[in-house]
Amino acid sequence: MKVSLFITCLSDAIYPRVGEAMVRLLARYGVQLEFPTVQTCCGQPAFNSGYWDDARKTATTLIEAFEDSDFVIAPSGSCIGMLHHYPKLFEKDPVMLERANKLQAKSYEFTQFLVKVLGVTDVGATFPHKVTYHPSCHGTRLLGVKEEPIALMNQVKGLELVPLPFAEDCCGFGGTFAVKMADISGAMVTEKVDHVLETEAEVLVGLDMACMMNIAGNLRYRDKPVRVMHLAELLYEGVK
Amino acid sequence: MSTASTKPGTVKERAGLALNDEFLRKAVKFTTERLRSGKKAASEEHGNWDDWRERGRQIRLHTIAHLDYYLNLFADNARANGVNVHFAETDVEAVKIALAIAERKQAKSVVKSKSMVTEELHLNHALEKIGVEAIETDLGEYIIQLAGETPSHIIIPAIHKNRYQIADLLSAEAGETLAPDTQILAGFVRKKLREKFLEADIGMTGCNFAIAETGSMVLFENEGNARMVSTVPKTQITLMGMERIIPSFEDLEVMATLLPRSATGQKLTVYMSGITGPRRTEDADGPDEMHIIIVDNGRSNQLGDPEFQELLNCIRCGACLNACPVYRHIGGHAYGGTYSGPIGAVLTPALKKDESQWDDIANASSLCGACYEACPVKIPLHDMLVYLRRRKVESGNGNLLESVGMKGFSTLLGGSKRMRGVIRLGQLGQKLVERDGGIRIKLGPLKGWNTYRVTPSLPKQSFRDRWSTIQKETQAEGATLDPALKARMEAVVAERKQGGGSSHGGHA
Amino acid sequence: MADTHKEWLKELETASKSKQKSFIDSISSKLGRPRPMEKPAHPFRGAPDFWRTFEWSEEERIERFGANFKAAGGHVARLASFDEAKQFIADKAAEMSAKYIIRQGQPELEAMNLEDAMPDARITVWNTDEEENWRARAAEADFGVVVADYAVAYTGSITVVSAANKGRSVSLLPTVLFAIIPVERLKTRLGEALINFDQAGRENLPAGIHFISGPSRSADIENDLTIGVHGPGVVYALFVG
Repeated sequence: MKVSLFITCLSDAIYPRVGEAMVRLLARYGVQLEFPTVQTCCGQPAFNSGYWDDARKTATTLIEAFEDSDFVIAPSGSCIGMLHHYPKLFEKDPVMLERANKLQAKSYEFTQFLVKVLGVTDVGATFPHKVTYHPSCHGTRLLGVKEEPIALMNQVKGLELVPLPFAEDCCGFGGTFAVKMADISGAMVTEKVDHVLETEAEVLVGLDMACMMNIAGNLRYRDKPVRVMHLAELLYEGVK
Repeated sequence: MSTASTKPGTVKERAGLALNDEFLRKAVKFTTERLRSGKKAASEEHGNWDDWRERGRQIRLHTIAHLDYYLNLFADNARANGVNVHFAETDVEAVKIALAIAERKQAKSVVKSKSMVTEELHLNHALEKIGVEAIETDLGEYIIQLAGETPSHIIIPAIHKNRYQIADLLSAEAGETLAPDTQILAGFVRKKLREKFLEADIGMTGCNFAIAETGSMVLFENEGNARMVSTVPKTQITLMGMERIIPSFEDLEVMATLLPRSATGQKLTVYMSGITGPRRTEDADGPDEMHIIIVDNGRSNQLGDPEFQELLNCIRCGACLNACPVYRHIGGHAYGGTYSGPIGAVLTPALKKDESQWDDIANASSLCGACYEACPVKIPLHDMLVYLRRRKVESGNGNLLESVGMKGFSTLLGGSKRMRGVIRLGQLGQKLVERDGGIRIKLGPLKGWNTYRVTPSLPKQSFRDRWSTIQKETQAEGATLDPALKARMEAVVAERKQGGGSSHGGHA
Repeated sequence: MADTHKEWLKELETASKSKQKSFIDSISSKLGRPRPMEKPAHPFRGAPDFWRTFEWSEEERIERFGANFKAAGGHVARLASFDEAKQFIADKAAEMSAKYIIRQGQPELEAMNLEDAMPDARITVWNTDEEENWRARAAEADFGVVVADYAVAYTGSITVVSAANKGRSVSLLPTVLFAIIPVERLKTRLGEALINFDQAGRENLPAGIHFISGPSRSADIENDLTIGVHGPGVVYALFVG
């Protein structure tokens, strides 16, 4: 059984601790992830901006990287969601389409794999803090990851989960959107952080580091000491 | 059109104006939140919402896939009911027909109920040019007309105004100070417009649905003005988009279940009227003469286009506007077209074939998918926005700087060695600007981002750099795979091989 | 003038028919196939299957209708007979000082003889004089009185259809509307009322079919659904039977 890690750009370059927590947590169950180092980016920035030729190039790299994996797992619903666009990206190329479909079928967001495939909801963690959760748009709306993180958090001892008002609203990241439409994006992240602060939570947790980077960036800009984490980090910290 | 910078009239600039208008932002936020929580409550109370959405989608898909059959049937039946049916391929043609009728009738005034198609045609201006007074009778449209503005929401045209601003506008019209009380404001409008209804020569309506099998047109409304417009004047002119068709009254039950709940959270609008032809000879009210103008104006461009045909399924409920976080912050006028919000961002360019005429509106979205989730007929607007962006790039109308950037992106990330190099470069380069693990400079590409945020700096080692250490440690201390877990994983793989496939996600 | 106008309309019709052909043909061509001449199979017609068997008991229908109609700002009363309905309307007229009432010429209302209970009020019957401007008469009325053709519990709606003796204006222009609903006309679902129009067929449909679900309202000022605008601001649903 070959279970591969798709680290994603942000976790590779900026948040290696997230990938590490995921690898170490799964290793406790005897699931040893392997890491094909030829992998790069899923191509989402190019795809979403309309540069599909460029997106196809990076997509091909990824398809090749995971060709012989049984499962591909990433700490991001958005990047896994992008793999669901690959069949559309290669709709006119029957050979690549077949390979794209295969990759899509075996790709899982981290909590999806843990809960839906392994059937684990209680990792035995303790985390005595007040936590609020931001469900990222692509994970919830495109992949349908809704119950999994809640099920995992409900089993963490000491964790007090405070509902985030208007949780389902986008944080305003949207990839190149945050750069192209910086002021709209800024208004959105400011509103999101207002809601996070309303909860008086010590920790904000999520499943996508792009959104977390966006929200954390605004929290820090406003000097608000809320700790921002990926759920994999929280769970691993809770079992260490 | 290439660089989406800040030249006058860009989406970005209009959004900038809106973002600095506290009144507008508060008014839009207040009302959209009311509308979307109303929708949520109504759809939850009704139950099986996704089954109804799917049913609605299937009815719309079926009708549009056979639009030639159903529209032809509708036209024949409406004519048999005594309606004068007209076809207009363009906005200019539609206006020409409407004006010809008004002139023929020597009309002095036209009372109108809400119609987005007439907004699309700028029909009020055209009528006024030939000396016909056009009076909007929907409360929101009336307010907007007094303000000399265009609607900023499909359902709530004056959503960008609060009750105090509306009281000021109506007070000016009344010549006395009216209190900012909705009851008083509506009372004034009722009295004022009553006379207009009774005097008007022509009543003009839009059309929510047109029933092919009976040639009937259906109107949903709360105020009663659409009923007035279609009951009192001697002549009725209805403007309908060519895609408004549904096959039968039975199908109307599904639309009537989806539309009001999605629009305002009501179980049904106060009035739902099915109008089948002009008044019967023996009837004492209803129009003597009825015209229906069927308008294309770019709609048929979507037919046969697998990426956009579903756009014609739209039932104009406005739920995507209320769910959209971008709309909430910038309001409808920033979209720069007749239709705003996510549906407007897609529809406005899609109605125009020529990509070079598209502005940057498709970029004003974070692609969060809230619009798709809210849509009662499940139109994948977030995907369509990406297709629009792609078409603009492929037609050579993309942003030059961005396309160079994307080439660089795919080259650098097309191989892991180069990617590693990029990360290294970043780790070294940031030393100049990093402080306390964060980057705050507001220059170059970081200007917009850092106006609202602090950028995290790159750690000394990337995940790639750490991988061999992590791998060694986990292999040394890791547990053996529990047979039960192994069995679960094998079962998933086996199911996948049998073609069970991706039951874990994708569009629900 | 009349003749020339008719001729003008005829010219428009000829132009429209020829335009119709090219307009529809262009749709077929964009859809990439010849125009279907047979009625296409429509496997998704109407509400989902699970919905079609859903039905409330009569008591529950009345209760649910009442809750919905009141939530929309309407008033509901349950009365034993048309005689009681007559008294109810007469009492309301006294209470609200209503002086002018317009009613439909429906047989049930003829038999009810509202005139008897309200000797002081002026009551006119819709479309009983060809010369009269009936729209204006309805607009002046304090009360409009109609008998509903159907009612729907699930949405709290009254259905009225037009005919020579049933004016569209009577349920629209007066200040207060009274709709008398014989209980056996109250259905559970919207579809139970709508199916009748499909079954009647085009030739037999009235010009106006109206579903009324409360007093006239507007959502246009801050989505504040609390106010009456153009239509009747006060609406009574009176169940009889």
